[in-house]
Amino acid sequence: MYLPLEIGISKEEALEALQVVRQACQGDAARTTGGPGSTRTCTALELLEEEQAQGFIITFCSALDNTLGGGVQLTKITEICGAPGVGKTQLCMQLAVDVQIPECFGGVAGEAVFIDTEGSFMVDRVADIAAACVQHCQLIAQAQQEEDHLKALETFSLESILSHIYYFRCRDYIELLAQVYLLPDFLSEHSKVRLVVLDGIAFPFRHDFEDLSLRTRLLNGLAQQLIIIANDHKSAVVLTNQMTTRFGQSQPMLVPALGESWGHAATVRLILHWDNSQRLATLYKSPSQEESTIPYCITSHGFRDVQLPAVTQNAEDTEMNPRKRPRREEEK
Amino acid sequence: MGVQIRANSSKREPCPALPLPAGSRKGDGDRDLGQPGLGCLGSPRSPVFCWHPGLAGDMVVLRAGLCPGLTEDMIQLLRANGIRTVVDFVSSDMEDVAQKCSLSYKALVAVRRVLLAQFSAFPANGADLYEELKSSMAILPTGSPSLDKLLDSGLYTGEVTELMGAPGSGKTQVCLGIAASVSLGLKQHVLFLDSTGGFTASRLYQMLQARTEDEEEQLEALQRIQVVRAFDIYEMLSALQDLRDRLSQQVVSSMGPLKVVVIDSVSAVIYPLLGGKQSEGLAIMMQLAKELKTLAREFSLAVVVTNQVTRDSSTGLLKPALGRSWSFVPSTRVLLESKEATWEKVTTQRVASLAKSPRQPTGIQVELDIGNFEAREPSPATPTQGL
Repeated sequence: MYLPLEIGISKEEALEALQVVRQACQGDAARTTGGPGSTRTCTALELLEEEQAQGFIITFCSALDNTLGGGVQLTKITEICGAPGVGKTQLCMQLAVDVQIPECFGGVAGEAVFIDTEGSFMVDRVADIAAACVQHCQLIAQAQQEEDHLKALETFSLESILSHIYYFRCRDYIELLAQVYLLPDFLSEHSKVRLVVLDGIAFPFRHDFEDLSLRTRLLNGLAQQLIIIANDHKSAVVLTNQMTTRFGQSQPMLVPALGESWGHAATVRLILHWDNSQRLATLYKSPSQEESTIPYCITSHGFRDVQLPAVTQNAEDTEMNPRKRPRREEEK
Repeated sequence: MGVQIRANSSKREPCPALPLPAGSRKGDGDRDLGQPGLGCLGSPRSPVFCWHPGLAGDMVVLRAGLCPGLTEDMIQLLRANGIRTVVDFVSSDMEDVAQKCSLSYKALVAVRRVLLAQFSAFPANGADLYEELKSSMAILPTGSPSLDKLLDSGLYTGEVTELMGAPGSGKTQVCLGIAASVSLGLKQHVLFLDSTGGFTASRLYQMLQARTEDEEEQLEALQRIQVVRAFDIYEMLSALQDLRDRLSQQVVSSMGPLKVVVIDSVSAVIYPLLGGKQSEGLAIMMQLAKELKTLAREFSLAVVVTNQVTRDSSTGLLKPALGRSWSFVPSTRVLLESKEATWEKVTTQRVASLAKSPRQPTGIQVELDIGNFEAREPSPATPTQGL
């Protein structure tokens, strides 16, 4: 805009000059394979093709997977809110294992980054979940007897699963912010990471924070940073949030913590809650799926569907499509 | 539904504006956002004018040949005395200039007259304005009959429309619906600037499939929607600048006739900058506002933005984010709310209320079904108390 003023050339000439410079810069950017400064433009058709080719991270609870449209989506931020003890960290640990499932079994074959702020990450629990997952895949491989299944199982073991979860512990919000800002460098070294879990985004921001406007600013900046990470590295970002009580007009109700503006950060919001003794998951916000509520339960093997007593399991139920997991009696 | 798309007047004529009363001071508060040019000029003897952004008279440097009588020598002499642009020239005292630059007073006055005639605005009557409006403005249907009713038959080009709502209220869904409707129904191009990562092409595809069975049309419609992912305010500003350059050069390339720019959401990129002790956040927000308004007005686009809501600390009610300065930017504001108050009862029903409009009374509410856009019949509008 101010170029004509400075140099004294006509506006059209200035526009042409800018165009040439921009093209030269874009040429450089293309050579460095889409650095952070490049504009990400494409048509909706190209995006659709990308989305359809993308995999999902399954949760081993088929009702939840159906609600989410196949599982946790890559390149999006999913937020899991819930009261204490309802299963948020369990779901995160399940996802950190599930992201590593090889592609022939229907997974995305990626690694996971686990950022822990509350200290609730239990390695022995992850080992249990991982063992159950490996066993499940072994059963499928035995039933279907395909080459690539057996090959994949050679590298898919308890040790490999645990070694591909990168764990970071952040004790306060400054460490958390620093970790998130350093994450892009880490991810460009470990390009196989497909999941970033942030367990407990509410915890460091809810204690000893006097300046609420600073908190809003930091959280929004964090959200934008996370969405850039999710997009550039094609990974799913999963956050867990706490619940707080709001005193509305009629009665007090539980709402996700960190305020109204934080609600806009996540693309998909899942609220886990109790109904007497049954755990329920409600999909509250999603750009592509309809809202619904489904029951789930947590077993010694991890996050699972609720086993309805009337359903009879068919042990010979073998599917030719490797993306579908046959339900088995043995995994109860 | 009256959908008229007339030929876009591509040459930017000076939009007529009335001259400000003489003696009004140059003040920031007086200036309307859409007119970044000067409000008035300093010296008491020179007349006062109102400049339109399309001309950018304050940006034009004096050059030989800009008008007859302005020679290269004159320009050199003027420049040596600190007069470089048209504005500098016109606002300075001719006698002083004649003395300092040793140029003839008559020649200077003649040049000045020509420059003023070339660059200043002239008043026109309302009938001409109306004619120009009819030929360049279009009304675009949003794809939802009840929302169209709320917006007085659709989105108006040349204006900024804002959708605000709490998380999960359906803002992205409405934006996708608008993109689908304009791309499929009107066969116009759409630019979607996504800053939240909420753009899901499969949902857009679902909406297109609900409207038409023909696969060819669906694919064509998808190709007409261009998506830019700008997660940062600077990326967004550069994307908008890029758009402006392409449109002003009238490069057709892959863009085609662009009519709608959707920005989802504008608060996500601005929020990290606002507040605290730094004031640059507000300045950048206003720069973005200026870009949007000039884009809308100069190129006859309908600009749709989405905004968050925050809770007012004193009253506890929801109010739109980004504060009072932003509230002057959009000419129409629609608030989207869920029908149920708590998240425990999930539903696809939404209520859209009009919070600000230049044409309709505020407070009108309609019901929307974000699961199924087209099917909803417009419910009778019940005027309630405005926001």
